[in-house]
Amino acid sequence: MKDLWTVASYTIKDMFQKKTFLISNLIILIMIVVGFNIPNILSSFDGEGEEGGSRTTKELVVDSKNIYEGTLNSLNSLDLGYEFIVENKEVSFEEIKERIENDEIEDAIIIDKINDKIQMTYIVEDATMMTEVPESLRNTFTNLYTNLQLTKLNLSEEQLASLSPEFEFNFKQTAEQEVKGNVFAIMLLSLVLFYAIYFCAYQVSASITTEKTSKIMETLVTSTKPRTIVLGKTIGIGIVGFIQVIVIVTVALICAKYCLPEGVLDAVLDMSQITPILGIFTILYFILGYATFALLYALTGSTVSKPEDVQTANGPVAIVAVVGFYLSYFTMMNPTSDLNVFASIFPFSSPFCMPFRIMMGIATPSQIAISFAVLVVTILIIANISIKIYSNAILNYGSRVTLKDMVKMYKSKDDNNS
Amino acid sequence: MGLIVKNVDKSFSTKKVVDNINFEIQKPGVYGLLGTNGAGKTTTIRMILGILKKDSGEITWNGKEVQRKHVNFGYLPEERGVYPKTKVHDQLMYFAKLKGMKKEAAEERMQYWAKRLEVEQYLQMTPEKLSKGNQQKIQFITAILHDPELLVLDEPFSGLDPVNTELLKNVILELIKKGTYIIMSSHQMHSIEEFASDVLILNKGKTVLQGNLKEIKEQYAANRLSLSTTENVDNLIKQANLEIYNSKNNEYMINISGEDDGYRLFDILAQNHVKVEKFEIMKPSLHDIFIEKVGEE
Repeated sequence: MKDLWTVASYTIKDMFQKKTFLISNLIILIMIVVGFNIPNILSSFDGEGEEGGSRTTKELVVDSKNIYEGTLNSLNSLDLGYEFIVENKEVSFEEIKERIENDEIEDAIIIDKINDKIQMTYIVEDATMMTEVPESLRNTFTNLYTNLQLTKLNLSEEQLASLSPEFEFNFKQTAEQEVKGNVFAIMLLSLVLFYAIYFCAYQVSASITTEKTSKIMETLVTSTKPRTIVLGKTIGIGIVGFIQVIVIVTVALICAKYCLPEGVLDAVLDMSQITPILGIFTILYFILGYATFALLYALTGSTVSKPEDVQTANGPVAIVAVVGFYLSYFTMMNPTSDLNVFASIFPFSSPFCMPFRIMMGIATPSQIAISFAVLVVTILIIANISIKIYSNAILNYGSRVTLKDMVKMYKSKDDNNS
Repeated sequence: MGLIVKNVDKSFSTKKVVDNINFEIQKPGVYGLLGTNGAGKTTTIRMILGILKKDSGEITWNGKEVQRKHVNFGYLPEERGVYPKTKVHDQLMYFAKLKGMKKEAAEERMQYWAKRLEVEQYLQMTPEKLSKGNQQKIQFITAILHDPELLVLDEPFSGLDPVNTELLKNVILELIKKGTYIIMSSHQMHSIEEFASDVLILNKGKTVLQGNLKEIKEQYAANRLSLSTTENVDNLIKQANLEIYNSKNNEYMINISGEDDGYRLFDILAQNHVKVEKFEIMKPSLHDIFIEKVGEE
């Protein structure tokens, strides 16, 4: 037990002393802070950030035939995010192009009428990222013209109101389980959990391969048991990974709260659903998910002697992790389906799936219990296999250990007092 | 008491790599373990250290089956290895703790050995910035920091310059004086010859020769004559019906089949009034014995 903590604490200290580790984490944190501040940075360039107002687009509206009969000036009273500059004279395409290039305007709309058909030409500087005229503009211009024509019919206010009633759309489901939570937020957090588990576990493989390639392994296994090395390393890297995730998520939440416009964070993430119980379960699934993949990576890491073989050796574990993640991710689109229940119990997908079933309030206590039991049993089996193969493979400096060799090693009684 | 290796076998798949090895180390000092590449030395060492299970036989230390918890041993493997990006001090402390040392004691021993091996200025540096020789000295300190009762040194001098080789030899002598049992494996026969009182020569997993080195040598007749003269004596050597093994600048190494061959040549040299600067009849070296024994196999 003392050796276990010695290995774990050495691993923690070693990771925190690595410049690459510190620099890469610093870059991640800077990217988070900058990412959340991009809207503020952009608005500060426009000189509108200080006033706190939202950014508006200068839109030239050319109605040379006066089709809208002077009503276009009312557009600026609507809060559409545009500053409309209305002109009732002919403006050539070249002139519009020049005004866009001189930043006098950003876009332009040319209104024309041909054979009772109103034609609108939307002119932008670069249409690469656009597929159609913005819906808000289409609706606004259509409604304005319709209202103009309706006014000419001399209808009463009641008649006018009946032509454009207010609609309210509501959801109701036939399934008994009620799903809570924002699916976008759940998927985003699922992605964060997957990367946290996957990359922390991957570090175990990298660390073991480094020890093999630096030929320190022989000294190490004469100092303590291989089992202690694997478990100590797994615990150490797990603790570092956990601290890493906590720091990153905390910085992201602080940035989201203070850098994003008010209400955006609440719209995406319903904080009322982040309960202490959910936090505890998420941490438990992180630990168990990490342990599952870390032990698998310990196995693959011990089978190679050269750093260039690590990727190939880790391939099968990466596939298992990605399949597990996507099984969870895609079944979350339909969280009440049987496949999502399966994903929350299957040990390679449950760490990415079950926390969010709990968050959505659709995981039953029995499902959680079964999921935990399956995961713990899987970890014990993987730990047994990994430690046994690791104990035999770490002193192998020849060619990469094949699957056949691994089976032999597992059956062998040479376990280096594992 | 001490280390007893009795009837030990080891096979990998169907290949027997260690075949019925027996030896005992009953008193402190150096025991030489010799063999060609693939002779089974490393496998034997790994079994002694308890990192590889034997198929049969017994390995005991002070009467107890060898296990990590029973043996306070140190190991300098042939594969040189250190953590390249971890400070020397930190990795030495790590291994000392794994060997059960308290921090204060480890610190004190670390300072002592670092000073003794002239690497104290490197303790706060990472090994990647050190020369191979200094890295090797760091690894040597890892092996002896916890004052092991049994120390296994696999090729301890390979890669060291003459100054550092001498430094390490003095440390080994210090350890012997302190009562450390040492198993030394090396291809440098003169190093083994310098330290070891007993040797075991392995070839293809089998013992081809073992015992007290002095007694082994006594069984062999003199086989070389080292001669140094002031003039060329090639013709006189031929006249004595002897074969020159090697010669340069009137210094000769001559093959002989016994002391009488040497005395016969000496008479011829005297009759021809040759000035002799050196005349030494030599018993076969460990190198010669090794070549002969392994060659026979």
